[in-house]
Amino acid sequence: MIFHSLDFVVFFVLVVGLYWLFRQRAQNVLLLVASYVFYGYVHPWFLILIGTSTVIDYCAARGMERWPERRGRFMALSIVSNFGMLGFFKYFNFFVENVGAALTAAGLQPHLPVLRVLLPVGISFYTFQAMSYTIDVYRGELRARRSLLDVAVFISFFPHLVAGPIQRASYLLPQVEGPRRFDVERATTGSFLICWGFVKKLVIADNVGVIANKVFALSDPSFEILWAGVFAFAIQIYADFSAYTDIARGTSRWLGFELTENFDHPYLARSPADFWRRWNISLSSWFRDYVYIPLGGSRASGGRWVRNVLVTFLLSGLWHGASWNYVLWGLYHGLLLVATRAHRILRPAAPVRRPWIAGFQIVGMFALTCFGWLLFRETSLRDIVRDVSLSPFHSTPLDREAGLYLFLLAFLYSIPLWIQSVWVELGRETPATGPRPVAAWPVMVFKAAACGIAFAAILVLRSRTSLDFIYFQF
Amino acid sequence: MSDPGRSVTVDVRPPTPPSRPLTHRARRAAALQLALAALAVTIAPIGLRALNYVRRTPRLQPTYLPALEGPRERLPFDAAPVGDLAGMNPTYVVIGDSMAGSRIDPRVLTELTHRPIAPLLQPASGPAWWYLALKNWVIPSGIHPRCVFIFFRDTNLTNALFRLDDQFRWAVDRVALDREDEVNAVVAARQSGGLYRVRDFVDRTALATETREWVEPGVSASAARIVEPYRKKRADFLVKLNERFGLDHLRPMDAADIQLAEDRDADFDAYVGRSFLPLMLRDAGRAALPLCFVRVQRRPAGGRPPVQSAALRGYVAKLRAYIESHGAMFRDDYGDPALTLDLYSDGDHLSPSGRRRYTEVFYVRLRPLFP
Repeated sequence: MIFHSLDFVVFFVLVVGLYWLFRQRAQNVLLLVASYVFYGYVHPWFLILIGTSTVIDYCAARGMERWPERRGRFMALSIVSNFGMLGFFKYFNFFVENVGAALTAAGLQPHLPVLRVLLPVGISFYTFQAMSYTIDVYRGELRARRSLLDVAVFISFFPHLVAGPIQRASYLLPQVEGPRRFDVERATTGSFLICWGFVKKLVIADNVGVIANKVFALSDPSFEILWAGVFAFAIQIYADFSAYTDIARGTSRWLGFELTENFDHPYLARSPADFWRRWNISLSSWFRDYVYIPLGGSRASGGRWVRNVLVTFLLSGLWHGASWNYVLWGLYHGLLLVATRAHRILRPAAPVRRPWIAGFQIVGMFALTCFGWLLFRETSLRDIVRDVSLSPFHSTPLDREAGLYLFLLAFLYSIPLWIQSVWVELGRETPATGPRPVAAWPVMVFKAAACGIAFAAILVLRSRTSLDFIYFQF
Repeated sequence: MSDPGRSVTVDVRPPTPPSRPLTHRARRAAALQLALAALAVTIAPIGLRALNYVRRTPRLQPTYLPALEGPRERLPFDAAPVGDLAGMNPTYVVIGDSMAGSRIDPRVLTELTHRPIAPLLQPASGPAWWYLALKNWVIPSGIHPRCVFIFFRDTNLTNALFRLDDQFRWAVDRVALDREDEVNAVVAARQSGGLYRVRDFVDRTALATETREWVEPGVSASAARIVEPYRKKRADFLVKLNERFGLDHLRPMDAADIQLAEDRDADFDAYVGRSFLPLMLRDAGRAALPLCFVRVQRRPAGGRPPVQSAALRGYVAKLRAYIESHGAMFRDDYGDPALTLDLYSDGDHLSPSGRRRYTEVFYVRLRPLFP
């Protein structure tokens, strides 16, 4: 089931309506049933996978606690089963294709099998989420849960099941286990998040996505057209993915849950490290805690640190998809981080806080990010080579005008996104304590009007082409 | 939650962030805020309606598919093919989308059969277009061809909404009359009842379609105005821009136009009654037109025909039985050893040389129809 469908609206209203009639345990049963209906709505066989993963991880964690001396074996069981399923469905064909290409290059004519099975939606997300549970239990940072129901709800919680944000067991499980009370303020802020999420998805992401798709369908793009398309894709992927996160967080609030933030206005980042503190935070912190730090993290010496960074980012790239362009994208970001640190070591300087320098850094980082999106969006290495070799000096006047037009069009649709980012960035302040303040009338009217305008924008400006959430494919 | 006496570990990460205290006044304010937001969302459609009134949107034409959309500017019905068909009096008619267009070469088929062939093809069309072409062009022309071939892929014939999105509806305009009650009834039946009615109600209340007619071009025009300030040059620029993104500039993609049949579409019994297939068979029967439905083979993979799910195989068997029980013919290209990968260009389309080869194979396979 997808968020931007009327089926989901009805489903969600029914679930919320029933949910607050029940006590905590019955609420969890309802959540599990609802999550499985949500996930198996189109392809019920997906439920076999998530159910199997849940039972194995539950048993592995219980085994680790009951037989601590054998916890390594249980951990191995969890890793093999989770990554086995992920690898089989997501990477089998990639592996076979590359083996086939290598054998062909060696003069052989292999007849290798090809898997003709749909990649289960969201498998990368819930696999990582389930793994966070068993790894934390293995490390002794979390107790194994006795309730299979609670673990199953934690893994399958429908608002974020398909495209994150990936929640840690230590963060979400206590919420699953604890009593929940309807909080009208939480529901209100959740509604705003949902509303903003739909605007980002239907009005911004889908409209600029059409531009990006058109550009990346061209066999002979010019320099200007290509980079206008890359700009459009940068907007699309951020608006699309953060929309999903917002809707997930908003719907969770209606159910009394609080999910972690996944984006913090990443296009206002000033450096690669800053970008990764703001982009897909749940995934990057997962890789940080379960790959980068176990490898030695930043405490390792120069060469080993470079290895740690590159391995982490290569894996992060591969997580996104079984294709070399994702590996290249991960490697590119790893190299950016290494280059930044090398620059700091070679030219140590106190941070300068002049606004124009900050603006320069933001624009520079955005340009570097866009280059990364080119690697991400192009699926063939040949096309990437062609794209990077395009020259602005070989374009026709029409190409220049077309590039500018597409850029402006993408920019026009993304204006609300930029305004929101700048607004939040300028208004950053320390977290408040004490009782929550009561909103004044003008603020309340302004927010309500914004909701009305958002709904009107969805009615009138929603794209004629409805695109799936990009991160569904991962 | 832990096993007594056994648990030796504790959660070291922060649990749920404690919710900040909410005073009674703050709770009331939050509820009021929610109510205000709900009110704003409710009156937004009325606001859009008022905006349209102020802007005085030009009167739009009523649609022939009220189950799907409100009034809009439409292309007029194209009656020319009726006269053309009557004048040509073809022995064979081919109806379909690019699947038919990239497979049947009318010139080659005419050479083989020594009979005139009339191709009624519309790229990116669906069963609504195919049915309307049969009903509003072929039958009114009064011709009596030996066979009318209708090409389709997998479950397209019973998917009434296939290619009926608004970007494809302009093509349907050309074959639709002012009223198409039966077509509208099929579309209405295919839609999921109440949910679509809710969306339709909101769209109508807000005059969303009418508002889109001027808001969307307004956004595009504001970008174009910056690029090309002069109106005449701007129009010229937009034409050239469309050409720049034309078919001849697109990448040849293996995946192009491949739309995997979802198993949920392969429920023949559920959808046949809510499709144009019964109408095609009924109208052709009344006009004594022999119909032959041709299911094309999709792109082979790994030197073999594409894999079919059990649901799709079952669907095709039922489709064949249904068509044949209604007196029409069914030709399934699937598994034909002559249809190898080298005939294909992108996606399920055939290359120009593949098109010639296919036409010859088609002639041989359906030889009894070409006496």
